[in-house]
Amino acid sequence: MNNGGVLMITGGALLAIAVVLYFDWRVKNPRAKKPAAPAPTTSQAKKLPIDAQPQTIVSAKEDVEHIFNDEFREELRNRGRLHFEKIIGENAMFLQQDLRQTTTQLNDYMRAEITRTLQEEFKKYEQSIVDAKQIALDSIEKTVTTIEQQRQLMETQMQTQAQAQRNQIIARFESQMAAIINHYVMQAIGNQIDLTDQLEFILTELENNKADIIEDIKRGS
Amino acid sequence: MVLNNKKLFNLPPEIVGKADISSLLRELELLESELIKLKGQTSLSASQKNTLLRVTNELAQTAAGNSYDLKIASDRQKLTRILTDVRDQAPMVHISFAAEPSPKVTQAILSWLRGNVHRYVLLDIGLQPAIAAGCILRTPNKIFDLSLRASFEKQQPYLIELIKGAALNQIAPGAAVEE
Repeated sequence: MNNGGVLMITGGALLAIAVVLYFDWRVKNPRAKKPAAPAPTTSQAKKLPIDAQPQTIVSAKEDVEHIFNDEFREELRNRGRLHFEKIIGENAMFLQQDLRQTTTQLNDYMRAEITRTLQEEFKKYEQSIVDAKQIALDSIEKTVTTIEQQRQLMETQMQTQAQAQRNQIIARFESQMAAIINHYVMQAIGNQIDLTDQLEFILTELENNKADIIEDIKRGS
Repeated sequence: MVLNNKKLFNLPPEIVGKADISSLLRELELLESELIKLKGQTSLSASQKNTLLRVTNELAQTAAGNSYDLKIASDRQKLTRILTDVRDQAPMVHISFAAEPSPKVTQAILSWLRGNVHRYVLLDIGLQPAIAAGCILRTPNKIFDLSLRASFEKQQPYLIELIKGAALNQIAPGAAVEE
């Protein structure tokens, strides 16, 4: 139900109340019903005695008094009340129907509005979640990239250091290799090696240095 | 000079150093004095004289190796003179081992030295436990490190190659086999 219907119903009810009040006011104030005939002036009324007034006027006064006596007024009041109640009942029914329809439409409207609002909010919420997710992914990606770079840097540094250390160890090993191998050989063979076993080696070494030994012996002697 | 005689004197390998020659010379002097004593004692038989004139194996070998008869005075005098020359003029070589060498080792080395370097080389044997294996030979002006350690140092490139090969085999035995 639209607003026009409500206004019409309300206006009808007010009009009916106004009609009832008007009739009631007319009953309580009978002199107010003679606006058409100009009232005689005070001087003229004073001039004419009752006996001198016309007969029609007298009879009219009697009819009026008869018409608007208490019983008639009570009857009219009852009729008005019944009519008013009838109009109120009809309008109340219409009003109820309209109100129910309005309530239904209002519920639909509210439901639609709430749904739309919720959908918008959900969309905003989803967008916020998507944005936050994207930001988190970007952040994670940046962190992963940074960690990967750091890892590669550290790997390179560690490889460089390990290579340098390895080269240093190898260089030291090579420079001391003879002593190291000699040490290991002696540890391995210990006292088992006899000079008799070394004789061949010694003679070979002497043979290798034979020329120098002879030269030095000749020079010395 | 006796050492330059055409008939060369044979110095047996049992005579290693100056101490041995000095010992032989002392023994010859002792023998000379004993023989002088025995000359005055006519009561002793020939066998008893031989018993009293017993000499060490080294002196007997030295005399026999050079065809000298120790009973003959001139031979003894020649031998004494030659040994004195050897003691005073023969080149000395100092050799160090990680442990006390056996006579077999000493004689083998001495034989090589006398056969290849000088006929009358005398040895002075010392001990250096740090040598571990091999020996160190010291001539009048030089030192020859003939130890195992020095040998390793000379063969360092070869040892490096050996170690590299072993390391590669240990790292990738399949690849090394393929190569």
